[in-house]
Amino acid sequence: MIGVYREFEGCMRLMGHVLRRLRVLALPPVTESLTRQIYFTGASATAGIVLRGALLGTLIIAYVIDVLDANSALAVKILLWVVLREIGPLIAAVLVIQRSGTAVVTELALMQISGEVTSLRRMRIDPRDYLVVPRVVGVALSTAALTFYVQVIAVGGGMLLSAITIDASLGQLANDFFLLASPVDFAYSMVKSLLFGVAIAVICCYHGLHPPGVSINAVTQSTLLVMLLNVIFAYLVFGQAFFGLVTAKI
Amino acid sequence: MSHADPAARSDSASSHSADASVALGYEPSAGRGDGRIWIPKGGSHRVAGLSDTRKARLLSAVLDLKSEPGARLVLLGLEVDGLGPAERTALRARVAFLPAGGGLLSNLNAWENIVLPLGFHTPGRLRGGAGEVSDLLGGLGADPHALLPKLPERMSAYEKKLAGYVRILLEGPELVLIEDLFGGLDAAERAAAAGFLPTYRARCPGGTFVQLEGSPEA
Repeated sequence: MIGVYREFEGCMRLMGHVLRRLRVLALPPVTESLTRQIYFTGASATAGIVLRGALLGTLIIAYVIDVLDANSALAVKILLWVVLREIGPLIAAVLVIQRSGTAVVTELALMQISGEVTSLRRMRIDPRDYLVVPRVVGVALSTAALTFYVQVIAVGGGMLLSAITIDASLGQLANDFFLLASPVDFAYSMVKSLLFGVAIAVICCYHGLHPPGVSINAVTQSTLLVMLLNVIFAYLVFGQAFFGLVTAKI
Repeated sequence: MSHADPAARSDSASSHSADASVALGYEPSAGRGDGRIWIPKGGSHRVAGLSDTRKARLLSAVLDLKSEPGARLVLLGLEVDGLGPAERTALRARVAFLPAGGGLLSNLNAWENIVLPLGFHTPGRLRGGAGEVSDLLGGLGADPHALLPKLPERMSAYEKKLAGYVRILLEGPELVLIEDLFGGLDAAERAAAAGFLPTYRARCPGGTFVQLEGSPEA
């Protein structure tokens, strides 16, 4: 229990440091590190992540339409409420944990164990400035970007599938969707995915900088589990808190 | 080059009144049984016979500016214990350390490693840094075009030390601590590494160059 509290406190302190030191992003080495992180998390992984996300989103729509025997209006509601608001950010978050989260925690743990973090301190560079700030910002922005990609493709795929499986044209579905959807829905999912990205990156960086010293695999796996639980928890909390504020017009 | 064996130096160490002329003075706490290290400003010095533990203790004190309870640390003429946070930060900027392995980050190439501290502490100097780095590397017998794109995993032991050393030189420290300068080098590389001191002397004429060497049995 004390260990859990310490980890939570450590993550909160790290988060506070990131917020206080955002200005270091203007320094050339940190800017470069941020660019690399965005490239790694948000660009190089795009094809695989978007494809998997889109497949999952489309499968969910197909399953729900089949089970609920949905009509055009219900299909659009499912696309809006399930895919756009919830599944998109969640899928992006889980995929970021799977790919970038484990990479971040492993990289930082290796740097810690091999003495590179100490080297940074001896160069009078705060490791949190150079290693944590760009990763947190980069993963957060990338998660938001990936969420957007997943949403576009999953909603597009869902509409195509709905047009095939139910008695509605693609144009009608699209029209209904844009009538129902509001900028708040988009902002809600973007804010949520940014928070997911921040949570994933802070937890990964914290565990990476505090390896148990036994095995990198253990660090990676435990961190993955912790982050997954954390993201699911955050997802439920935010979904519940905002659901009343973001309602459909129908 | 003077040889400052900590055990041998303990009897002839300077008194506290000579602080202004001291580059590095370290008196461990009484219970430690370690010898004092008292190095005057300027010149080149070699501290030999340090065990790993003593070396770690010394480096921790000097680089973190935190001496153990009962220990005394004098750095560049200043009693560290009496300094405030801002003075400590300013003092620390005048000291540099080159670890035996060069202290490079494995995911950055030689160029990125060399200019990393500049990017943090004096980003304005990055613009003219390329020529300066090339000159320094060329002066120490390396081919900048071959070395700068290399990742540490592809560098020899000497190249790692060299990249780490050039990184230090760019900041122009008044006190340079070098761990095991010739360790892991072949004869040709040792000869090249012997050029480190003259290069430092040319850039920082009044600076102090200290080699830290472990004990043979360590």
